[in-house]
Amino acid sequence: MLEYLWLVPALPLAGFFALFVTEGKLPDKIVAVIGAGSVGLAALVALGAGIEFVQSGGTSYAQSLWTWMAVGNFTPSITLYLDPLSLVMTGVITGVGFLIHLYATGYMWKDHEEPQGYSRFFAYMNLFVFAMLMLVLGDNLLVLFLGWEGVGLCSYLLIGFYHRDPENGYAARKAFVVTRVGDTLMAIGLFLLFRELGTLDIQTALDDAGQLDGGMATAIGLLLLGGAVGKSAQVPLQTWLPDAMAGPTPVSALIHAATMVTAGVYLIARMKGIYDLAPVAQFAVAIVGLVTLLISSFTALTQTDIKRILAYSTMSQIGYMFMALGVGAWSAGIFHLMTHAFFKALLFLASGSVILALHHEQDIFKMGGLWRKLPVPFWSMLIGSGALVALPFITSGFYSKDAILLTAWDHENAGRWFWAGGVLAAFMTALYTTRMMVVAFLGGTKTEPHDASRINMWGPLVILAVLSIAGGWLTFSVLDDLIGAISHIPHTHPAALATIVLPLLGIVLGWLVFSGRLNVATWVESSAGNAVRRFWQSGWAFDWIYDRLFVKPFLWVARVNKGDVVDLAFRITAAITRGFHHVGALTQTGRLRWYAANMAIGLIVVFLIVASV
Amino acid sequence: MILFVVILALLGAGIVAWASERVLGKDAPRLVSVLAFGAGLVWSAALWLDGADANGLYAAMDWPWIARFGIHLALQMDGLSLLMVALTMFLGIVAVVSSWDEIESGHGFFQFNILWVMAGVVGVFTAMDLLLFFFFWEVMLIPMYLLIAIWGHEEKAYASMKFFLFTQISGLLMLFAILALVFVHHGATGEITFSYKALLGTEIDPRIATYLMLGFFVAFATKLPSVPVHTWLPDAHTQAPTAGSVILAGILLKTGAYGIIRFAVPLFPEASADFALWAMLLGTVSILYGGAMAFSQSDFKRLVAYSSIAHMGFILLGVYAFNELGVQGAIVTMIAHGFSTAALFMMAGAIQQRLHTREMSQMGGLWKHAPRMGTMTLFFVIASVGMPGLGNFVGEFLALLGAFQENWVMAVVATAGIVVAAVYGLYLMQRSFQGTPNPDIASMPDFGLREMGVMAAMMAGLVWVGVYPQHVLELSSATIETLGILP
Repeated sequence: MLEYLWLVPALPLAGFFALFVTEGKLPDKIVAVIGAGSVGLAALVALGAGIEFVQSGGTSYAQSLWTWMAVGNFTPSITLYLDPLSLVMTGVITGVGFLIHLYATGYMWKDHEEPQGYSRFFAYMNLFVFAMLMLVLGDNLLVLFLGWEGVGLCSYLLIGFYHRDPENGYAARKAFVVTRVGDTLMAIGLFLLFRELGTLDIQTALDDAGQLDGGMATAIGLLLLGGAVGKSAQVPLQTWLPDAMAGPTPVSALIHAATMVTAGVYLIARMKGIYDLAPVAQFAVAIVGLVTLLISSFTALTQTDIKRILAYSTMSQIGYMFMALGVGAWSAGIFHLMTHAFFKALLFLASGSVILALHHEQDIFKMGGLWRKLPVPFWSMLIGSGALVALPFITSGFYSKDAILLTAWDHENAGRWFWAGGVLAAFMTALYTTRMMVVAFLGGTKTEPHDASRINMWGPLVILAVLSIAGGWLTFSVLDDLIGAISHIPHTHPAALATIVLPLLGIVLGWLVFSGRLNVATWVESSAGNAVRRFWQSGWAFDWIYDRLFVKPFLWVARVNKGDVVDLAFRITAAITRGFHHVGALTQTGRLRWYAANMAIGLIVVFLIVASV
Repeated sequence: MILFVVILALLGAGIVAWASERVLGKDAPRLVSVLAFGAGLVWSAALWLDGADANGLYAAMDWPWIARFGIHLALQMDGLSLLMVALTMFLGIVAVVSSWDEIESGHGFFQFNILWVMAGVVGVFTAMDLLLFFFFWEVMLIPMYLLIAIWGHEEKAYASMKFFLFTQISGLLMLFAILALVFVHHGATGEITFSYKALLGTEIDPRIATYLMLGFFVAFATKLPSVPVHTWLPDAHTQAPTAGSVILAGILLKTGAYGIIRFAVPLFPEASADFALWAMLLGTVSILYGGAMAFSQSDFKRLVAYSSIAHMGFILLGVYAFNELGVQGAIVTMIAHGFSTAALFMMAGAIQQRLHTREMSQMGGLWKHAPRMGTMTLFFVIASVGMPGLGNFVGEFLALLGAFQENWVMAVVATAGIVVAAVYGLYLMQRSFQGTPNPDIASMPDFGLREMGVMAAMMAGLVWVGVYPQHVLELSSATIETLGILP
């Protein structure tokens, strides 16, 4: 099957093409078959290729398709490259991607907001899967960049899918523009890498990376990190992700939880050879992760929209991944990427079922008491939440998060700080997750749900729930061989025990507070408590700052200079010329006396000049 | 020989089109035009498939014209010329289709002007004699002026006069430079000639060379256009009829870029090398300023016009990097921008024809009425935003990559332009086709087969250049080597 690797990205592309050229005229059932089927087939081919790859025992497999462009010594080729890292990513993208597509065939069915949009939706989704696969399979940074921009485009299209509401359009543009700031840094990183090494082939560049001097490696590492923070919604380019929840929920699950937002993690893991030479850049990766996971886990505690809670939670979980890469826990970071894809996709899809059953109600305080009435979504949410808070031993999230935190503990610089920050955030994660579950699913019913989901919707939930539990038992020896083993601190070590116990405390505290058994109103309602809550709720005022620092000045310049100040120079020239015309025209009176007098004066002046010379 | 015939055929077709209106009615002229450009496109394709001769030429001729002054009817087509001529013929068809039923009177004379502009353009892209080049440069100007002045919109008199003056005054500087170059050459060799090949490599005092180079550069930079001589463009593009805008943006701007690559740099290599930093600076400023200005606009067409200024900045940046990456990037940008902007101007024209306005505040939610037009606008906006896989990305990435090798500061600043492009491009999409549907618009006819056919051809062109630009790169690389603009 390995020789059919090209089919993996080609099938979703073909799906997109079929839906694009038929202009939405196909019956919805056929659209569903094409949309979900193309990704499903890609998943099967990927599975076959993956099995053959693992059995062959090789470390990598490359398939060259064609030379994209050839200018002098710049000859990037479209080559697909399969190794354990890209295999894991491909598996997640096609596997989880297929489940989400399947779910979406039900979720988007007879969508009341955009009844004509079924085909358009799946066209965008298929295009996304294609771009994401190019991102992870590309053996050249330019091909990776193609996927990178492609997923950004599809993210834009799908966030703004309900395009009649201007707010969705705003959210979509914000996502595209903010991530493009990161993309710009990444592009500059590519320019620099090419200037220094003369190639953008990833494997060649990594082999030759030893030629880089330390400063260059650091610069390239930091520029690529710039791209990564944009795409993965990390501080300081994280502001777009919460707004991106304007898209339909399957989009949030696929793009803004399971795949695209982890592209930054993939990029850094892929370019490990550069970061090995640039400890400063690698340390910056860890810092970015730590800051993001702290900020976003506090923010998640104050959100009321179920999707925004999950969005901030995604940011903080990706923060863990960044921290893992930064402290050298490479395989733990990718491991967490995979388990997170399972449980966060599950959480989003389950919340989507809740939202649909409540007629697009997303405020958790208007839910309540749903656990009996929506059993499948409830149990799915519960399992997903368990994995998110890393319930010990029975959830996949535990194994990956535990590996990250304990490796951080071992890190030579500031390891204890990273560990402490990570554990604090794990406590907060438990707190906000418990809040979400208690408020939305327990207590009295506030809105009556109508669940009409069929097997195409609850089936994926069940599969993802199983993966969220069992995903952690998959041994990760494949990745270990490639990029370094994870920590082997025994579970009896105090740090290991604390790592296990703190989230449990968070759950207990959360249950006491949000089920009303522990009254904290005096703290929360105090003026200081309110101020802190508003600050957290705003996402630590990043939007406010950027608005004043960038958006407002740009808008001001645009408004003031609408008429183009440069044109003024030409308009003034024209006005002066016209002025001469008017003055000259005044002398044309038509009176003979006036002309004669002028002639006489002119002659006198000429005579005087001649005489004086 | 064949080149001369082609130019004469276009001129002749213009006369036929004009005359045919009286004899056969108002449908005849546009058919004549489409046939003429279609034949030209087929001819270019045949030349390409036939391959170049040993000198890398697809066609060439050299007849004495005014022998006393060494002026020749010298025409020649190499890879770069072939690319540009093929683009000219293709966009000729697009222009005619985009104004298919836009104009109300003077159908014959309208097509006459279109055909004559394009004849001049083909001459500009193939002339190998400086006076002949200048002659064609002027031939392009007058019919274009008439297209704007007669069939333009509300401010056509102002816009057409502005276009004429900018082009004419900067063209005059070029004429002075041409004459001075000929005199210098005469002084050195005793031979009077306007032949491009003879004048290449003329020994010139460096100070004089700088002035002469600037004479050419100003003419080409005005046509391109570059900040600060760009201000004719938003007016001319906005006021021109759709076909005029398509031709202006798609092909006339490229004559400026072509002039820089063919004349300004090869004739004065040292002076150009000294000037490179300033040219790159102008390019960078154009990218950012053009982008910011595009965002400021509320007029759909004017926004697209300003975006052209930004895209042309990449050409200056790439050419004056003086490496293969940069120059190839500039050339691919010329082709890709020809497609993407022609399509967007066609869209602007189609909207104006349907809604009688270009103001985006009076649009909004048009997707509901015209999903095809929405999809097409989205596609070409995305292309011009620089999405990999489409032609504009290849051009702009190569130009930036080339510029980075030469001057990384400039390249870094210019790269910020891709963020600005996203800002104005998506805002255009938002205000026209997305958002709340404007309740004043009850309905709007969508694109039919004719328009979609042209759009599909342009989409295919962009995907082709974006996914496999090798055909373009191979054609131009032969020319780049012979021009000797690489160190």
